[in-house]
Amino acid sequence: MTEDKKFPIPTAEKEDIEEGLNVVWNMFEKKVRRRAEIQARLTEAVGEKALDLLMREGLLRESGDELVFSPEGERLAKDIIRRHRLAERLLSDVLSMARAELDSNACRLEHIISPEISESICTLLGHPRQCPHGSPIPSGDCCRREEENIRPIVVSLDNMKLGEEGRIAYLLLHDHPELHKLLSLGVIPGAEVRLHQTFPSFVLELGDSQLALEEAVARNIYVRKK
Amino acid sequence: MEKAAAVLDDKKVVAMKRLALVGNPNVGKSVVFNRLTGQYVTVSNYPGTTVDVSRGGGRLGGENYEIVDTPGVNSLIPNSEDERVTRDLLLRENPDVLVQVADAKNLHRALLLTLELAEFRRPMLLVLNMMDEAMSRGLVIDPARLSRRLGIPVLRTVATLGEGLADVKAAVARAAVPSAAVPYPPEIHRSLEALDGAWRTDFSPKRAVSLALLSGDGSALTWAHPGLRPGETEESLWRRADAQRAAFVRPPRLVVFEARDGWVKETLGEAVYRRAGPSGNWASRFGNWCMRPWPGYLIALAALYAVYQFVGVFGAGVAVDFLEGTVFGRYIVPAAQRLADLLLPSTFLRDMVVGPYGIVTMALTYAFALIFPIVTTFFLAFGILEDSGYLPRLSVMMDRLFRLMGLNGRAVLPMVLGLGCDSMATVTTRVLDTAKERLIVTVLLSLSVPCSAQLAVILGMTAGMSPRVFLLWLGVVAGITFVVGWGSARFLPGARSTFVMEIPPLRRPMLRNLLLKIKARLEWYLKEVVPLFVLGTLVLFFLDKFGGLKRLEVLGAPVVQKFLGLPAAATQTFLIGFLRRDYGAAGLYHLQMEGLMNDRQVTVSLVLITLFMPCIAQWLMVVKERGWKMAAVVTAVVTVIALAAAGGLNALLSVAPRLISS
Repeated sequence: MTEDKKFPIPTAEKEDIEEGLNVVWNMFEKKVRRRAEIQARLTEAVGEKALDLLMREGLLRESGDELVFSPEGERLAKDIIRRHRLAERLLSDVLSMARAELDSNACRLEHIISPEISESICTLLGHPRQCPHGSPIPSGDCCRREEENIRPIVVSLDNMKLGEEGRIAYLLLHDHPELHKLLSLGVIPGAEVRLHQTFPSFVLELGDSQLALEEAVARNIYVRKK
Repeated sequence: MEKAAAVLDDKKVVAMKRLALVGNPNVGKSVVFNRLTGQYVTVSNYPGTTVDVSRGGGRLGGENYEIVDTPGVNSLIPNSEDERVTRDLLLRENPDVLVQVADAKNLHRALLLTLELAEFRRPMLLVLNMMDEAMSRGLVIDPARLSRRLGIPVLRTVATLGEGLADVKAAVARAAVPSAAVPYPPEIHRSLEALDGAWRTDFSPKRAVSLALLSGDGSALTWAHPGLRPGETEESLWRRADAQRAAFVRPPRLVVFEARDGWVKETLGEAVYRRAGPSGNWASRFGNWCMRPWPGYLIALAALYAVYQFVGVFGAGVAVDFLEGTVFGRYIVPAAQRLADLLLPSTFLRDMVVGPYGIVTMALTYAFALIFPIVTTFFLAFGILEDSGYLPRLSVMMDRLFRLMGLNGRAVLPMVLGLGCDSMATVTTRVLDTAKERLIVTVLLSLSVPCSAQLAVILGMTAGMSPRVFLLWLGVVAGITFVVGWGSARFLPGARSTFVMEIPPLRRPMLRNLLLKIKARLEWYLKEVVPLFVLGTLVLFFLDKFGGLKRLEVLGAPVVQKFLGLPAAATQTFLIGFLRRDYGAAGLYHLQMEGLMNDRQVTVSLVLITLFMPCIAQWLMVVKERGWKMAAVVTAVVTVIALAAAGGLNALLSVAPRLISS
């Protein structure tokens, strides 16, 4: 994965490696590590020489009669699995593809997704933790960044605690008339707010004025906490 | 509503320059109006007091101006009817000068509006009002810098105290077309240019209307067609705007807004800074308590109890006893009788003045001894509530309950105003966002919200009885309000709007404004109500003299006497109750005083007069605001519910009289 070409077109060999790593990862997840079983599954899914190829590239090592990833193999496998499962999520969540077709399409898609694009997809989908079949998606750099910075900071008003302060980050109202009402009342991204009360209505301190609004509206206002 | 407009005749208006006061809600436009014209329009501490245009005259900077007060707007792309009124006025009347009144504490919002107003290309002034409140919060505003950025004079005032208004008057002559240059993105400029071809070059608000069209607001077209080039129609322009809108990925209204917002933030950074001010004074702390369940509901009950003590016990008890028993009973009525005996030769004329249906004995006694002290105390108590800023806090507390009735907390204002006068409150429904909400509130105002005078008589009548009567009356009326609201929420088409409302700071009511307000309301009472009382008395007098009253009583007997179980004499009170509801209530009061009604009858008649037909003034207002058809429907609904409730109550109390015995 170190090509400098802008649009790397995967070679047949590279595709075989990625496919093979994918298979091995899946078996390891199911706690199947014996060489004989893996060899059988790889032959069936990729080709007779697949295991040899992975070993020759130094991605898999033998340990007794079991197989283990080398550090480089583990890194590559994690990456291909992540791309595959993100592709499944994308196909099912955004493009509403039928479940039966997910895997085969994801298999083709995973090879052409670059690392940057996989981060974009991951962010777009809100850093999902599981693929549609329920297997874990290995986390990428973008997920770690999100966990450290954004997640605990941007919350909707109804998830803020009383007395907490922050700046309005965004409003989830699209081109709704409500949006313009709020904007003209000063509920504008960047405005400083303090949550004053939540019952019977939400009351915000917004600069030097107070604004009351009902929960249904408050839920759509996201605030970056101080 | 004071109609100052009638004072100005048409010729004068043509000769005079016109100045419009515009601004966000609850920033003090009406106070400035009162100060500039010397006339009075109602001023309160909640958004939406002014729902219609008021006009007056004033001499400013050596010239005579017609001055127009407008309903507050947060944007000139209207969300509600009262906002439309202001935008339409700007387009229709093209004022010579725009004076924007701003809350100095909330310049961000004010300047967003300034930029919208700037697109109308009229000479403008910016008045920073409530400077005292801004300063006490540690805000330091540099008017010279603001003025340079905007290209218009900027002045500072505390309008309630009259500070700075002389400067405003003098500055009107220097008003200038704003030169603020908002950096709109190129796609907005392109779209504006594409629409520009449709306008006559001398049509000054063309950019304002084009921007409204780009934002998807076609309502501006109604008043903009005089500005169209020959060959262009409203439809062709709308199609052009549609084509432009289609090219945008993000809503154009948002794109425009963001450009303005950026400009305003930059301006505020230059012209405003904040010293650490004292925070959390007593008023703001108490204001916050009023919005929380604890102790907010307790405060609401305490306020209700205080109003009851002042209006119900002091006004309807002590003051009425004194005026009716002593002033009218001992002095005025006997004196009038003696005078009538001396001056009027015929019994017929004497009866007209001092008989049982006499102008002095009935109309003036009702008007001045019974209703007058009660409405005066009520207006005073109510004025304090209005000016303190308590009512918007009540909206916060009531929002959830009102949502069950298809409304939201904002509807609390017209409903509570209905306790003052239902006719005026019907006009105030314009502040509500959807047609459904306006209709529901109109129905409830007609049906179950008693007006001040009526409420007062009701308090007076129940004062001497078991508290159970009052509680039963309250329970029935509140229950019917809720059930009707709940039903309308479900069966009427359309949606409820969401609750978003600005809460003004709690303020100590100013005596001057309070007195002016009470004076204006009492003048209205004397001018409009007293003549109606006299008219109603004359109707009763003639009906009585020519036997019509007896015939009506016989005619109404199956309903009044059988179904409702009331004495025959109650018929006339419902008859004149249509003229003025409080007049009808006053009639009931007298029947009770004379011992013609037992407790059951009093309870039934109280519920009936509360729910029954609104008075003529309110009914005409319903016709004006909702149209003939809706008014007819409302009338039918109200009549059926009122009769059913009163009849049901009568049946219930006949079976279980213990409900109201002490």
